[in-house]
Amino acid sequence: MKKLASATDPLWYKDAIIYELHVRAFADSNGDGIGDFPGLLSRLDYLQDLGVTCIWLLPFFPSPLRDDGYDIANYVDVNPSYGTLDDFKLVLNAAHLRNMQVMIELVINHTSDQHPWFQAARSAPPGSPAREMYVWSSTNQMFEGARIIFTDTEKSNWTWNETANAYYWHRFFAHQPDLNFNNPAVIEEVIKAMRFWLDMGVDALRMDAIPYLVERDGTSCENLPETHAVIKSLRAAIDAEYANRPILAEANQWPADVRPYFGDGDECHMAFHFPLMPRIYMALRQEDRLPITDIMAQTPPIPDICQWGLFLRNHDELTLEMVTSDERDYMYFAYSADPRMRVNVGIRRRLAPLVDNNRRRIELLNSLLLSFPGTPILYYGDEIGMGDNIYLGDRNGVRTPMQWNSDRNAGFSKCDPARLYLPVVMDPIYGYQAINVEAQLSDQSSLLHWTRNMIALRKLFQVFGRGSLSFLNPANRKILAYLRELKRSDGSHEIVLCVANLSRFAQPVSLDLAAHKGAQPVEMLGYVPFPIVTEAPYLLSLAPYSFLWFELQPPNAALARSSSR
Amino acid sequence: MATSDSISEVTTPSAAPGNGLLVLLAAMTAEQLESVLVSLTASFPAESLVIASPDPFPEDFDPSVRIVAAPPASPSWTRTAADFVSASQLAEKNQARAILMLGAESGSLAPSSIRTLADAVLTTPTDLAVPCYQLPPHAGLVNSAILYPLTRALFASRARFPLAVDLGLSLRMAQRLAGAAHRFTAANQGEAPLWPVNEATVAGFSIDQFDVGPRAQPQPGGPDLNSILPLVTGSLFADIDAKAAFWQRYRELPPPSDPVPHAPSTDAPADIAPMLHAFRLAYSNLQEVWSLVLPPNSLLGLKRLSTTDGDLFRMPESLWARIVFDFLLAYRLRTINRGHLLGALIPLYLAWVASHINITASGADPEAHIEAVAAAFEADKTYLVSRWRWPDRFNP
Repeated sequence: MKKLASATDPLWYKDAIIYELHVRAFADSNGDGIGDFPGLLSRLDYLQDLGVTCIWLLPFFPSPLRDDGYDIANYVDVNPSYGTLDDFKLVLNAAHLRNMQVMIELVINHTSDQHPWFQAARSAPPGSPAREMYVWSSTNQMFEGARIIFTDTEKSNWTWNETANAYYWHRFFAHQPDLNFNNPAVIEEVIKAMRFWLDMGVDALRMDAIPYLVERDGTSCENLPETHAVIKSLRAAIDAEYANRPILAEANQWPADVRPYFGDGDECHMAFHFPLMPRIYMALRQEDRLPITDIMAQTPPIPDICQWGLFLRNHDELTLEMVTSDERDYMYFAYSADPRMRVNVGIRRRLAPLVDNNRRRIELLNSLLLSFPGTPILYYGDEIGMGDNIYLGDRNGVRTPMQWNSDRNAGFSKCDPARLYLPVVMDPIYGYQAINVEAQLSDQSSLLHWTRNMIALRKLFQVFGRGSLSFLNPANRKILAYLRELKRSDGSHEIVLCVANLSRFAQPVSLDLAAHKGAQPVEMLGYVPFPIVTEAPYLLSLAPYSFLWFELQPPNAALARSSSR
Repeated sequence: MATSDSISEVTTPSAAPGNGLLVLLAAMTAEQLESVLVSLTASFPAESLVIASPDPFPEDFDPSVRIVAAPPASPSWTRTAADFVSASQLAEKNQARAILMLGAESGSLAPSSIRTLADAVLTTPTDLAVPCYQLPPHAGLVNSAILYPLTRALFASRARFPLAVDLGLSLRMAQRLAGAAHRFTAANQGEAPLWPVNEATVAGFSIDQFDVGPRAQPQPGGPDLNSILPLVTGSLFADIDAKAAFWQRYRELPPPSDPVPHAPSTDAPADIAPMLHAFRLAYSNLQEVWSLVLPPNSLLGLKRLSTTDGDLFRMPESLWARIVFDFLLAYRLRTINRGHLLGALIPLYLAWVASHINITASGADPEAHIEAVAAAFEADKTYLVSRWRWPDRFNP
């Protein structure tokens, strides 16, 4: 039986606060050293208190775990290490009871080579339905225009399979053969898997690696019209049977290339804004707003029902694919002094270590995340400033156990520390004895409390999730200033002015707010009224790495406020 | 929990009700019911009325009036979520254009007052008609001390009785309230109070208040202040929490209307000694809890009060406003168990009541004092908003 959507607002994802976590890394209930659904269930109150409204679960399906679960061996079950389907349902229902939605992964570009489909395809005759689930070739010369994504480990997108006596196509690891989306049976199987989870009440799907679904010779095999046709068909299948179930696209592309993934509002509801993220770090290090304003100028408008997904860090490396060569070199110099901090085309570090654990820089970056147009996505542990472990392989350094307290294994598990799926961070700065949830809950001045307050504040103002963006252009380029504006159909109007100092030193700024003459800026964190806007330049001074958010209240409110004081 | 199955016909309509008035009566005694029915039939043409009651109608009741059974309800001193679900369902089923909800003891309302509430939603664009009762000076003080000032300050409404048991509702208002009530009834909390004024304000619906004169107030049955105050205050706090994004925007308060005089008191002067004793005892015993909730300035104010003689006992309006605001914040932040929190508010409320009694005993108009309290809440709304947005304990 289909469960109804837990969210009643069709645009709920625009106002959401998404929290990305891996079940394996969050909380271990049975002492086997691996996080599980009962463990997550026990921590849902924490997420609710933090203000999270949507939990994004990284892949939790049966898998050989050679790519952290993105190598799926069964789309319609739960990896036994994490619990059972019933355990998942308990988490789903408990999240809904707390007014939180749940987003899961739809990794459809490829499967694990251990998936029964691939096992059958290898030995099936060429051209047979089982064989045609994947992309095969007798040569490795097809699709030569396609780049290799995992440059550190893969030399080709083709790998020879002895059993099949043919090459199979894979855009990622060799153990992740790509599904053949030219085959309608593949699309039907994917829709079946989607139905399985949506019927259960899952609220949203993150579509992994969608630019690569279809291949064509003589192209880059990315963003092809045929790929968009597949996505449209999946979206239509969802819309036909379910309400309020958005799709989030992972398309690590330039904004103009991501734009088609929204279609006319008939493909994905959301897409990550990949190029923005490295430029935020670049702007911070260069103390210059230009990288941010430049990429936003290149960002095309999207359909009204669509939304960007914004993030500072995630489970992968800080990807530098969507920057120029010079920018990439700069980012490597600026943020990865140790070569071990680099992987593929990016930097495998968490938020706090990236900014040298500077609290004001962390807050500034979060203020941008929470006030830019889009839905903010927090990566687990960043709310307490967790560190990483660059000595672990691949991207595991940013996937270590959540640090709950200063007990054994950071309170993540009661197991023998040697059994942990990955060691907890133990260095003196970011180690679990210094950085953990319990300590920060009892510290009113902690980053955790700060984050919680900021999330609560953002949730009071729908303009952040739904409003337009326009940059102000003060002469001082160390200052990033922008207006967020929302006009509702009922005539109500919200305008918020955000001003951020990207510099490590105090900065003056003169803003042209003449268009809002008569408005009263009210500083939003403290509800402090500032001088009324006139035609004259509006002067502000900002402390190092500080930011100010103002609600521009209309002139009549300003008058009433002054008369009541 | 109310369900559509529980609503059944009692009499076959003699004619289609058309766009009439649904009157939903609360459970009441046979005498009260008879009195209300007399008022209703005297005020409205029989063919325009549909009357719903959980109680049996008198056998000799006018057969030309269409009557329907309302879901069974226990006598209540307030309106519950289940009532609003029933009102909406009955209105829809009987194609009513507006709804008049009359609470227990509504037989004490003048027929003209009943007519006024109904006319407002039948013949004007008013969505919510709320009564302003003329009560004795020391009646309804939880409302005067907490519910009214909070509602006025946050939702910019001058509704003097935000939890009134008699209401006129437009059809869309009834539907809106039913929608809000479903959240409670679905969770098997049909007895939870609902806040029509807040709901109407958020929806942008029009609210009008009408002087309805004196009325006998339905009294809570078994429970005492220790359960009533946490119940209604907790419910209002929760509603305020849910509507934070709304009330933190600037709202213009409508101009004041003429103050409603209090009904003459027939009671003997209240003895404030037990209230002060409760407050002073709590001052000794609840320091630890209050310290978690209240900032230093408020604690200092309470310390001064704890040593003030009975006849000089006055709680400053600004102190009371901050106490309520800080308890509201602690409720939102779950600083301590919510039940314990609201229990810790009771002795402070008693201190306010003692102060109010002293002020009125010295000749001040009770309503003027209540208005001063409400004005203090309004003036300090910025404090609440700033603390709400940045709930750092390190504050004055």
